[in-house]
Amino acid sequence: MIKKIFQIKYIIIVLSVCLIISRFGLLCQTAVLARQYISLIMSDFITATVQTDFQLIDCFFSALLLVILPIIVIIGGKRIKLLKAVSWQATALVVFVFAFIFAPVITNENPDFQKNLSVTRLLSPLSSVKVLHLKEKKEDNNPLNDFLKTKSRVVKSSFDESILFCNSITVKKNNLEVRQNETNIEVMLNDVEIKNGEPVLTTKLFFLGTDEYGRDVFTRLIYGVRISLTIGFCSVIISLLIGVVFGFITGIKGGFTDIIISRITEMFLSFPLIFFVILILALFGNSIFTVIFVLGFSGWMSLLKIVKGETVALRNKDYFITAQQLGLSKKQLLIKEALPVMLAPIIVNTVFQLGNVILAESALSFLGLGVGAEYPSWGGMLQSGQENISRAWQLLAFPGMMIVTTLLTANKFGRELSKYYNPGFGE
Amino acid sequence: MNHDLIKILIKRFISSVLILFFLISFLFILLRIAPGDPTQRYISPGLSPQLAEKVKVSFNLDRSVQEQYLSFVKNFFSGDLGVSYSFHTSVTNVLFEFLPFTISFSLIAFFFQFSLGLLLAVFAYKNRSKKYLDGFISGTNMFLYAVPSFVSGVFLIYLFSVKLELLPSSGIKNITSVTSDFGELLFDYLTHLILPVICLALAGTPVYFKYFRDNIEQNYNKLYVRYLRSNGVTENVILYKHVIPNAISPIISYAGVDLGMLFSSVLITEVIFSLPGMGRLAVGAILDRDFPLVVGCALSAGTLMIITNFIADIIKFKIDKRLINGVLN
Repeated sequence: MIKKIFQIKYIIIVLSVCLIISRFGLLCQTAVLARQYISLIMSDFITATVQTDFQLIDCFFSALLLVILPIIVIIGGKRIKLLKAVSWQATALVVFVFAFIFAPVITNENPDFQKNLSVTRLLSPLSSVKVLHLKEKKEDNNPLNDFLKTKSRVVKSSFDESILFCNSITVKKNNLEVRQNETNIEVMLNDVEIKNGEPVLTTKLFFLGTDEYGRDVFTRLIYGVRISLTIGFCSVIISLLIGVVFGFITGIKGGFTDIIISRITEMFLSFPLIFFVILILALFGNSIFTVIFVLGFSGWMSLLKIVKGETVALRNKDYFITAQQLGLSKKQLLIKEALPVMLAPIIVNTVFQLGNVILAESALSFLGLGVGAEYPSWGGMLQSGQENISRAWQLLAFPGMMIVTTLLTANKFGRELSKYYNPGFGE
Repeated sequence: MNHDLIKILIKRFISSVLILFFLISFLFILLRIAPGDPTQRYISPGLSPQLAEKVKVSFNLDRSVQEQYLSFVKNFFSGDLGVSYSFHTSVTNVLFEFLPFTISFSLIAFFFQFSLGLLLAVFAYKNRSKKYLDGFISGTNMFLYAVPSFVSGVFLIYLFSVKLELLPSSGIKNITSVTSDFGELLFDYLTHLILPVICLALAGTPVYFKYFRDNIEQNYNKLYVRYLRSNGVTENVILYKHVIPNAISPIISYAGVDLGMLFSSVLITEVIFSLPGMGRLAVGAILDRDFPLVVGCALSAGTLMIITNFIADIIKFKIDKRLINGVLN
């Protein structure tokens, strides 16, 4: 009975239901936004296409998936065989995947949002600041304005003109004195939103504090999952393609091709690649694409060796020779005959490779050569934490924790998978 | 036997030179296809076109690619790596200024990783009956294996330098101290090296621990240990005279590769603790776009790698003579 409760699908359901309950208002607004968006497409197609961007689609997609996911898991849960037993690393994996897919729903803030630096700079975790709401401009009610209004509530931009962060306010005759640490600024009382004769003042909680530019650490950590996993998966796919294709070719052809490719592989294996990675990034500029390509091109060696070894072993098997004699092309041989046999070692290697790539990406970001300042990345946060080491422990602890958890999960999964595929090995 | 050893060494030497040659070619291709003009640093808009042309000629850029490649290779093998843009001296001089620190630092860290790994493995094996202790060591080991050096480095600085104010966080010596007394100077260096060495040891020890632990266990299950035991040899003698030497020898080739990698992976630690080593030199050179120095750093890292592999091979052949025949046949 207890074993039944602690199944991975229940964790998925509980997590998504918690998310739905805590973000119910946001989901409702997303639904309203979707309705307005569809009506906008019907009435004015060109404006709708102008308004469509990645963040909007991202919001729609994650909200929709969040509602559908529990239903899918409940209906199809029995068919999902993998990851049945729950362990902490399976839970960590679920949390990471959630953070990856549902990032806009989890935080509902822009990772680059910054405002009133003198108040929000380097706040420690669980600290809060007061928010003064300014009056919004009155605009006439047409569908486009309604849409934009809802959109600004759902899809947060990196700036917001309608609020002011402050420590305290004092009401004077017809203006307001807003205190922001060292400075005081005066705001006209007419500009401020007023309710029951008092200016509207709410508090905003920074759950994990802020960094040196006043940006929310929690939001950046969640969006950092996206960057890390995206870079990890893309570069692993590149190394997978190179390793499998060239390994298969060398294994099948042998002879001169084998010698050349093996020598090159050995050269790559015997050289500290971090120099090459840094050199290429410095020569060609560091952007998200160069990072993906460089990390992908520096991780194919072990895969190539594995695939080559398996192919050499395969070459003399009867069924493989038969398939060759039947006239299958190289591509068909690889996909239909070779890949299913060597899938297990490839998967194990890929999982370990994923951990390595995520580690390498954060190390590069730590050195200032990663994806650059426009994306939130754990390594970059850690670096800014080292710069402000005496005042901002939150910038060291949380990104460090995320990196370590990711690597632990990847390592553990690699080991579990290799145990699953080679039972009794290493005992 | 000696004759065979020399044969192998010559074989290894030729393959090392080949790898270096590959490396140089690869670097040359990279530098050639990279965007940007290497003469840009020396040509200002005020320069007359004739002079600008002269600068281009002095970079050999007027010649064909093949000739450039040949002179690149020739210059490398004659030890001429060009002039650093930021240091204004020859790259070889700069490298020789920074290499000794990196080499000694890596060797110290390597010594700690290797010996700590061995000691812990022996300790864990001796206490294998106490399940909680063995489990604790293995668990901690698994956790530390997943902690990258830049995370543990900043945590060490935060803990020991910022909170406890026990140890210095950066540099290799105190800037304010003017003492010339040898003892004090040594003490100064050592206190500055404690944190970086701990950081590197934390990163490397788990790997060695895992290897040693598995190898010791495997060796204990072999027949010769049972034979020795039945002859009445004491457990200590079995462990120190038979099991450990047998457990070390397969690890040496890994250690050779690892030490070579350490010379370059020490880079991140040097950046964290701002130590005056080759890694920080390389990162600085890359950020300053000082390409001759970058090439020099990459090549010296490759050379160090080859040398350590070479030494590891020799040690391996010295320990286990059977390997020589295996390589030669």
